[in-house]
Amino acid sequence: MENYTKYKLKAENELASVLAGKDNLFVIACNKCFKAFETTQEADCDVFVEFAAKQGKTITGTAKVDFLCNKPLTAKKLSALIPEGTENVVVISCGLGIQTVADLEKLPVFAASDSLNYTGHHGMALTKKACDACAQCYLTMTGGICPIVDCSKSLVNGQCGGAKDGKCEVSPDKDCAWQKIQERLEAQGRIGELKAQPVQIRDYSKTNFKVINEYVKAVREKRFENYYGGVHPVEGKEPTEHLSLVRFPEPDTVVIPMSMHLGAPANVCVEVGDTVKVGQKIGEAAGFISAPVHSSVSGKVVAIENRPHATRGTCLSVVIESDGLDTLDESVKPNKPLEELTADEIVEIVKNAGIVGKGGAGFPTYVKLKPGKPIEAVLINACECEPMLTADHRVLLEFADDVIYGLKAEMKTVNAPRGIIVIEDNKPDAIELMKEKTRDEAGIEVLVAHTKYPQGGEKMLIKYALGRSVPSGGLPADVGACVSNVSTAKAIADAIKTGMPLIERVTTVTGKYIPKPGNFIVKIGTSAAALVEACGGVSEGDVLIKAGGPMMGFPQSTLDTPIMKGSNGIIAIENDEPEVQECIKCGRCVDVCPMELKPLYFAKLVGDAAALKSYNIMDCMECRCCEYICSSKIPLVNLIKIGKNAVRGMK
Amino acid sequence: MLITELKAKEALLPQICGKVFIINCYGCREIYFPDAAANEFQKELVDSGCVTGSITTDYICNPDNLKVRLAKHADAIEAADVLLVFSCGVGVQTVAENYPAKKVVACCDTYALPGFQGVTPLEHDCRQCGECYLNLTGGICPITACSKSLVNGQCGGSKDGMCEVDPNMECGWERIIRRLKQVGRLDALKCPVQVRNYATDEDVK
Repeated sequence: MENYTKYKLKAENELASVLAGKDNLFVIACNKCFKAFETTQEADCDVFVEFAAKQGKTITGTAKVDFLCNKPLTAKKLSALIPEGTENVVVISCGLGIQTVADLEKLPVFAASDSLNYTGHHGMALTKKACDACAQCYLTMTGGICPIVDCSKSLVNGQCGGAKDGKCEVSPDKDCAWQKIQERLEAQGRIGELKAQPVQIRDYSKTNFKVINEYVKAVREKRFENYYGGVHPVEGKEPTEHLSLVRFPEPDTVVIPMSMHLGAPANVCVEVGDTVKVGQKIGEAAGFISAPVHSSVSGKVVAIENRPHATRGTCLSVVIESDGLDTLDESVKPNKPLEELTADEIVEIVKNAGIVGKGGAGFPTYVKLKPGKPIEAVLINACECEPMLTADHRVLLEFADDVIYGLKAEMKTVNAPRGIIVIEDNKPDAIELMKEKTRDEAGIEVLVAHTKYPQGGEKMLIKYALGRSVPSGGLPADVGACVSNVSTAKAIADAIKTGMPLIERVTTVTGKYIPKPGNFIVKIGTSAAALVEACGGVSEGDVLIKAGGPMMGFPQSTLDTPIMKGSNGIIAIENDEPEVQECIKCGRCVDVCPMELKPLYFAKLVGDAAALKSYNIMDCMECRCCEYICSSKIPLVNLIKIGKNAVRGMK
Repeated sequence: MLITELKAKEALLPQICGKVFIINCYGCREIYFPDAAANEFQKELVDSGCVTGSITTDYICNPDNLKVRLAKHADAIEAADVLLVFSCGVGVQTVAENYPAKKVVACCDTYALPGFQGVTPLEHDCRQCGECYLNLTGGICPITACSKSLVNGQCGGSKDGMCEVDPNMECGWERIIRRLKQVGRLDALKCPVQVRNYATDEDVK
């Protein structure tokens, strides 16, 4: 691996003249980038401090910082770093880091390093290959060997004639690029093409820095819009976003896991051989953070045993053979109208209906509705920022009234004056409909967010909608917010209006390998295999099946799993199993992490729980932005999960 | 990570003879990839029936992963006469090295980003002059902030603080003087005359 570190310390005599007459120095050194991630402690800072001390200088402090050129992050930490009494700031970094600090800092800033002067731009893999960004690529004509970078003279019309034994006359250790070009084209039988080429003239005006500058500014604005970081993966929602919901036929058998929520699994309260009805409780909540589970069919319990589970391997499940009659349980009956219900009554209804966050995490909803803190706004997460999934989108369009009803119930329960439905701008039809429907609703507004993953993350949503940051380790209630998913709001509406507990949900089945994708209303416990079968099965190929979307979904080795309360999708996509490479400290994971963490350290320090904790690994919400962007294809989320377990084990 | 622009169709079409395999690199798409233009062009090719296959992947500049991923498309690549690569110049070179016997067509032109080596898109730029002047200029780079990259002060051509080369750009040297005044370091400009050395690090090693 090439080392593309961008700076070196200035020579001692120059440093001495820089420091002449200056004292009380604070030293900021950038940990180098674009090199193998071998050490978290680069030596340059210490070398400089030693030199300055020899010169009799007082050092007020030092800081070793990652990616100093990352302005938003540097700006946040800079003022806290520099202690009182500092008169001068010395920066050891490339020109970008120095300029960034000089822009942000009021004290005089001095450069203690020079940039290293390389020719050409390297890629995101640290090979010797480089591109000069000449804006007029010659590679087609030259068999893929670059005449600008590889020829010492950057000739574009053939050999200079000075090469000797195939070596360059300027740098004798270098191969003559034009000789290589000719050999390659000869081998391809394309030498005639080269001869027939008109004379090439390099146009240096093509690299219009101003245009590019403007462009980059726009890109950065997009990147930092609404909250720091995030990515823009290919959306892939077109195949299903316009397909109406289809009710999936009654399954013959359902397998209902006792754990479809965060917290303790429910305790089974039926026995094999029992007859059950639709909406009948089959599992009791087992503690404060837990939720009851209900039967989604009427029929007979045929087994209570461990069955495959989409996110937990296996899980104790109740297997029920449907009698096809869909007989309602006596407990399922409409409640009083919303206006007459008290907050406590609504909490009870939600709790007994087994409603949990349907966005995927599965946090019991009733707990959120008893925040114990004043709530200013209930946020309905209708972003559906996860690519490919369209379940929430369809719920918005087809159950708009129920979603608003659910929102109102939540507002009433937590006594919030405001309700905000946040929708990403890739769903214009849903935005229009919700705006229309909420026009005359006091306190309810529709907020449009530009599409950026993970806008639907709880903390990102609050940051955007309310401009508040949830503290590390904190909950939305700490900043006066209560967040729930669109489908959760609909489930609350159902529970109040009809008394029906959470026994069905909307799921998207899609992906390159699904011949007939669609959005389905599915009973909890329905086999994923049956659902996929109804979509034409999985076509031939190297397929990866995920429960959920491409970003946060769980890879599945079997389709023999049931649809659960949090199953928002099943996707069959191309299996991409790249080779994991070494981290090259490109900094892109830091650039995209919406929690403003440094994921590269989670891979580097895996096993060192104390260190991981100090890098705030527990704040990670596993959105997978870092893994998505990683140029070395490091399985960051898996490593983070391992790291989190290690931190939990510390206590 | 560089900005790519699709080459003109008229320049590309004569290069395409026989069957083609398409390689799209989305690795730096976050920065820029001419999605719409490339998709439209590729759709036309697919409709004309000359495409044996395609792959949209990331970081094709990484030769190991390029091999792993293209291996799955070995037959389609074998059947193609030409490989069309939609990526920056590093990506095209990496593909060409992997398939020395195939004609590889670079479908994009590559533009540099401000910021080192094009890998850090920033508002600041550094041209890696190798002899950082920022100490003398209050942290504003005279190489990139001045149209003429002057290192010994203003050219005298600015008008109302704007550059004579690019009237939309503030004169870098006026910014430098303002900054130095602000931090009480105007005397930094009394330094000896600066001479720039254009040698690369390879030259002076």
